Amino acid sequence: MIRDHALIDELLAIRALDGLDEGDAEQLQRELAAHGECDECRRLEAQHAEIAGMLALALDPRPVREDMADRIIAEAQAPGGATSPAAPDELTGRRGARLGPWQAAFGVAAAVALVLAFVLATRPEAGPPIPGGVIVPFEGAGPGEVALAYTPGEPGALVWATGLPDPGAGKVYELWMFENGDPIRAACLAPSGGAVAASLDADLNSAELMAVTVESSECPDAPTTDPLYTATLDAQ
Amino acid sequence: MTIGTTRGAPMRSAEPAGTRDEDLLLRVGAGDEQAFRELFGRYAAVAHALAFRLVRQAQVAEEIVQEAFLAVWRNPDRYDAARGSVRSWLMGTVHHRAVDAVRREQAQRRRAEQAAGLGPGIVEDPVDDVLAAIDLPRERRLVRTALGELPEEQREVIQRMYFDGLSQSQIAERTGLPLGTVKSRALLAMRRLRAHLGEGSR
Repeated sequence: MIRDHALIDELLAIRALDGLDEGDAEQLQRELAAHGECDECRRLEAQHAEIAGMLALALDPRPVREDMADRIIAEAQAPGGATSPAAPDELTGRRGARLGPWQAAFGVAAAVALVLAFVLATRPEAGPPIPGGVIVPFEGAGPGEVALAYTPGEPGALVWATGLPDPGAGKVYELWMFENGDPIRAACLAPSGGAVAASLDADLNSAELMAVTVESSECPDAPTTDPLYTATLDAQ
Repeated sequence: MTIGTTRGAPMRSAEPAGTRDEDLLLRVGAGDEQAFRELFGRYAAVAHALAFRLVRQAQVAEEIVQEAFLAVWRNPDRYDAARGSVRSWLMGTVHHRAVDAVRREQAQRRRAEQAAGLGPGIVEDPVDDVLAAIDLPRERRLVRTALGELPEEQREVIQRMYFDGLSQSQIAERTGLPLGTVKSRALLAMRRLRAHLGEGSR
């Protein structure tokens, strides 16, 4: 089937320039989902990204502090940081399969539930502090409530859930973050008494959407089931 | 990390001489600090210029660059060769973070103005001349030439959107242009740039 890519071309161009409004960003996700596995969409996306990236070269380089690379490596190796890029405990995952029908969920997720109360009520007394700034509730058809908190511009987040049903023998809940429509593993969550409170190292600042699925306890690199809960991350 | 031949692979602009960026990134994935330093050395100054151009605050710009490269060190496998070059991925990451910072600051300023009972202040649109150049490396000269050859109305949209961090609706609001015109000019500009840079950079 021959598809028209005019709208996708325009929206991808503006997204590459970081100029899309929220409504158009959601429309783009819907269009991409409708196109499914689309070589032309990927070609256009790559072309626009390449041109946008080259625009930075028009600027005169601005030197950074000499020790910045040292500080970055030191920070990555600090306790709580990744000791190497391939650290197995790194909560962020690898790019998985293409989204396909997943992207349809993007337009559905909208934060409406007020879960701050439950977040505060379920926060362990000695638990890690909630990052400041943003608390994002998830929506979903399943029972229970899920939310996360993070500080825009900073890595790390907290995820909280209550009333989750038992995922089943050999199963866990897996939290995903989506960047440019691709799922990246953020955490595997094994609830206790239906509740979860976990600290994440993942950097959500480039993510558009978060989602929770039930997966095998091996925590696969890409979702294999439909999302139970989703949350849109708005540009803050 | 997805590296290799892909269908519909995008065009590639020239990289600095020496080891390919993608090879460096593979080595970063294996924990090679020297490879990370080399990649950092190639692009940190450009990334810093981009961040500073957008946020116009030295400390914030530096933090953005540091966070972006920290993310590279921690998660090099987020790079997908099918989506463009390493350099474009890096610059896109920096640009996205800087634009986020700009819009957060704008939102906070709006809230502060509303709380103070003030209307939105007159926001100066500094349209710096990013085209001025005397002695430039080839790629910088090439990109500036490509920008300079855009029709003025298209260049203005690129400048406001990419270099000033304004959204399509903010540009429409400030210029009085219909939103559809802003969007179509952005697309036309990107196509012209692609035609120019796609030929000249190979």
